[in-house]
Amino acid sequence: MTFISQANEIELVTRAQSGDRNAFSELVRTHAQGVLNVIYRMCGDMQIAEDAAQETFIQAWLRLQSYRPQASLRNWLYRIAVNTAIDMLRKEKRILPSAIEDLNLTDSGPGPETLVANSERTEMVQEAILALPDASRAVLVLREFEGLSYQEIAESIDIPVGTVMSRLNYARKLLREKLEVQLFVYAEAENV
Amino acid sequence: MSDHILELLSAYIDGELHGGQLRKVEAHLDECQSCLEEYYSLQALSATLHAAPVPDFPSPERLAADVALRLPRKPVKPMSRRALEIGWWLAPVGLIVAWIFVSTTILVSNAVTAAGDFGLLDSASAWLVAGSSGANYSAFLGQFGLLAGNSLQWAEMTEAFTRTAVPQITWQVSIALLYLSWLAIWWTRHTRQGLGGPFDSGGRPTVK
Repeated sequence: MTFISQANEIELVTRAQSGDRNAFSELVRTHAQGVLNVIYRMCGDMQIAEDAAQETFIQAWLRLQSYRPQASLRNWLYRIAVNTAIDMLRKEKRILPSAIEDLNLTDSGPGPETLVANSERTEMVQEAILALPDASRAVLVLREFEGLSYQEIAESIDIPVGTVMSRLNYARKLLREKLEVQLFVYAEAENV
Repeated sequence: MSDHILELLSAYIDGELHGGQLRKVEAHLDECQSCLEEYYSLQALSATLHAAPVPDFPSPERLAADVALRLPRKPVKPMSRRALEIGWWLAPVGLIVAWIFVSTTILVSNAVTAAGDFGLLDSASAWLVAGSSGANYSAFLGQFGLLAGNSLQWAEMTEAFTRTAVPQITWQVSIALLYLSWLAIWWTRHTRQGLGGPFDSGGRPTVK
């Protein structure tokens, strides 16, 4: 992820708001990784993630006039990204992840058995995440994969902090039930 | 189970607890095996999630180039929305102007009426207070002997109050209420990330 200072970001936003495409492209480059990550975790499909990320930035461009610099641009983009991912999933009828094909399994380290085990585990995890209700999945993705604080999540999807906490509890409870075996394997590995 | 802290464990793992709640959870974990196991289980879940790799995303440069190809021309605000927004920001100014106007009118009106009552206005300026003096109906009833003495005085005072003070209070309270309502809406919007005026719908979530 490209790093730009907050002051620089505000200046880029101001320029983009007056129609400067280069400034907006710079913002896209800065936030591309985060937006792609959020959307991929939300929908579990690389192709959908890429399309949704493009759509997210186009929506951001169209709505840029309504953005106020006192809010975090990242959180504002994540808000659009989450909604775009959910919309895309609805259109695509919740395609199950083609995660195994998407993943880069060309690492020469582990042997074929480990690779298969890893990809099976990845698929299970992704399916468990996808099975969560949209609202809980959005909160979980922003917390677990993007590391947002509860306050930032609350601002991103416009819900109270207490609701963030309860949705996160609920999502984790459901995931633990679905991934019980995986967690057991992890615990065993930790004990070895 | 009511003494357990299961509901707080997620927030504890995420580093979102502070002060008394943090101390409470830490103290509880020191003595409760069942909650400790829950804590380890949540940690394992987090580790399992993080262990799931992500695919090779397109590079930021490629995504930016793809987006640039699809970008429409400079975003232009529709006139109606722009007009609404201008109206929104002019509303408090209008209310303050209305407040000053109403207050000044009332002040001047009271001063003129008082001047008339004390006979300070000459005959040329008498039209200013014509009809503004209170107690017209009471005096009318008094002429026919329907009101007299204290009753007439009370009726005159009540009528004078109704004719002057009530409209003044009503106007001022109405303007104050409108202004406070505007402030309340502005504050609500402002605390929600400051995403603009009440007519901005950009990026509002559907996730609820």
